[in-house]
Amino acid sequence: MTIAEKMRQRLRLNRPSLRARARPPKQRTPLGQNFSAANLPVALSMPVCDTCGHVQYPPTELCGECLADTLVFRETDTQGTLLAKTELHHSVWEFFKRRMSKAPWPMGSVKLDAGPVVLAHLADNTLAPGQSVQVFSHTDASRSSVLIACDVSQPVGRREVRRALTEATGLTQIAVREKGI
Amino acid sequence: MSSYQGVALVSPISFGYQKQSPRSAAFFIGSVLRELITTSAIDKAEIDGLAVSSFSLGVDSSIALVEHFGLEVRWLEQINVGGVSGLLALRRAARAIEAGDAGIIACIGGDTAHHRGFEATAANFSSFSIDGAFPYGAGGPNAAFSLITANYMKRYGATREDFARICLDQRYNANHYPMALLGHKPLTLDAYLGARPIAGPVHLFDCVMPCAGGEGFLVMSTERARALQLPYAELRVADELHNAHRKDPVQDRSGWTTYIDDLYQQSGFGPEDMQFLQTYDDYPMISMMQMEDLGFCRKGEGPAFVQRTDMRFDGSGSAPGKLPHNTSGGQLSCGQAGSAAGYLGLTESIRQLTDRAGSNQILNVHRGLVSGYGMVNYDRGLCSAAAILSRGQS
Repeated sequence: MTIAEKMRQRLRLNRPSLRARARPPKQRTPLGQNFSAANLPVALSMPVCDTCGHVQYPPTELCGECLADTLVFRETDTQGTLLAKTELHHSVWEFFKRRMSKAPWPMGSVKLDAGPVVLAHLADNTLAPGQSVQVFSHTDASRSSVLIACDVSQPVGRREVRRALTEATGLTQIAVREKGI
Repeated sequence: MSSYQGVALVSPISFGYQKQSPRSAAFFIGSVLRELITTSAIDKAEIDGLAVSSFSLGVDSSIALVEHFGLEVRWLEQINVGGVSGLLALRRAARAIEAGDAGIIACIGGDTAHHRGFEATAANFSSFSIDGAFPYGAGGPNAAFSLITANYMKRYGATREDFARICLDQRYNANHYPMALLGHKPLTLDAYLGARPIAGPVHLFDCVMPCAGGEGFLVMSTERARALQLPYAELRVADELHNAHRKDPVQDRSGWTTYIDDLYQQSGFGPEDMQFLQTYDDYPMISMMQMEDLGFCRKGEGPAFVQRTDMRFDGSGSAPGKLPHNTSGGQLSCGQAGSAAGYLGLTESIRQLTDRAGSNQILNVHRGLVSGYGMVNYDRGLCSAAAILSRGQS
């Protein structure tokens, strides 16, 4: 099955009438799946070019700067600066629709000190643009690694801290349809 | 060199705008081709070049369409870069006409909009968005543009009332353009400000509505257009630059800043000489960014510029400055028919410059500027293009 076919199938399964239990988007490219796997054991892992040191995100096969085929996942500094934040009130994805029916969903873009700009869920809605933040990864209810930004004071090097912060966002729980269709 | 000699744009067509359609993209593209042939009264066999842009062709490509439509072409392009598709098709077609590679080129953008089709487009848009953007909540461009808009508002003090100036004047224009999907509805400031929130500062009337439809025009030499007695607009200058300013952490400018001075210099005109401006308006802040980057005001002065500028096609607004902007209502009021949206400003400009606009016609119009923007591959629109068109000799 090609990626596009897989996605069409998942979109069909995303139909609210068919889905009592909605999960965050699972589809990733093969490189995105590598990203998920590389992020399981550490707070944050990014593809880094062994030739020029460029930190590449989103993941690609070749380095976006020197085009060398030498990207390897390496544990990366979690520090960064929140560039912009927003509260989402609308989504095309059923899991987020159900979350947003309770409260708007905060997300933002972060410039990591290591280089790249990443989009991330926000663990803390009081974070303001310009503020120092930390970005860590955690698996969501679809078993994919997603990035989450939190206050710079959080000890995200500890797994239990990352887990607690992620659970508080609701990303690790399935969104269950409450009643009827 | 970004100037062009003797390139005519003929027979602007906008076709079949509707919110949803069970038809295929080929239906909309082929229907535009049929209208192009009918309105210009040429034989189908005379069209020897084709450029198409579409997100929803599925397994088909431009060459499949050539067979579908029974064409025989010596020049073929498929340009799938959303909001700059029309300008890129035009630039390539214009050079082909200048070089004599083809005689008459049809440039067409068209897309269908199936039930729930937008989700599929959003979910499959690019590998960067699949891995880096789609999992973060919105599942479409709203999140990226709300971050860009929020950052712009914070940095330059823009308010929702400033964006309303763009949306309200465009809706007024759409009220005079029959094809616009929202043209039958007036839009007031209260309705704009009170609209449902979508993403941060982006509310309902800041978002384009995906729809089905097609846009297209013919490109040929000015001699050919005169011989066929077809009214035409002439391409003067055009340029494009993609992935410009890529080190900017959040986008608040795009490639226009690097070439717009050159375009004005080569055309012999300045921004004050432009009698209309058609921007790519997927969100009003993006139109404001184009006004700044295209030299109508300096960076950060967009909010003040729209407050002092009347952007209605007929200049009936109260603001002292006059600049007809997105005179058919733009995508915000017409709907965003996929890649056709990248042609919308061009077809509207050709209509204006050939006095075919009808009830939204600008009086005594001789030249104007069209710009394109698009393709949010990850966190920003990558593409930029702009062209200055003028009225052809009659």
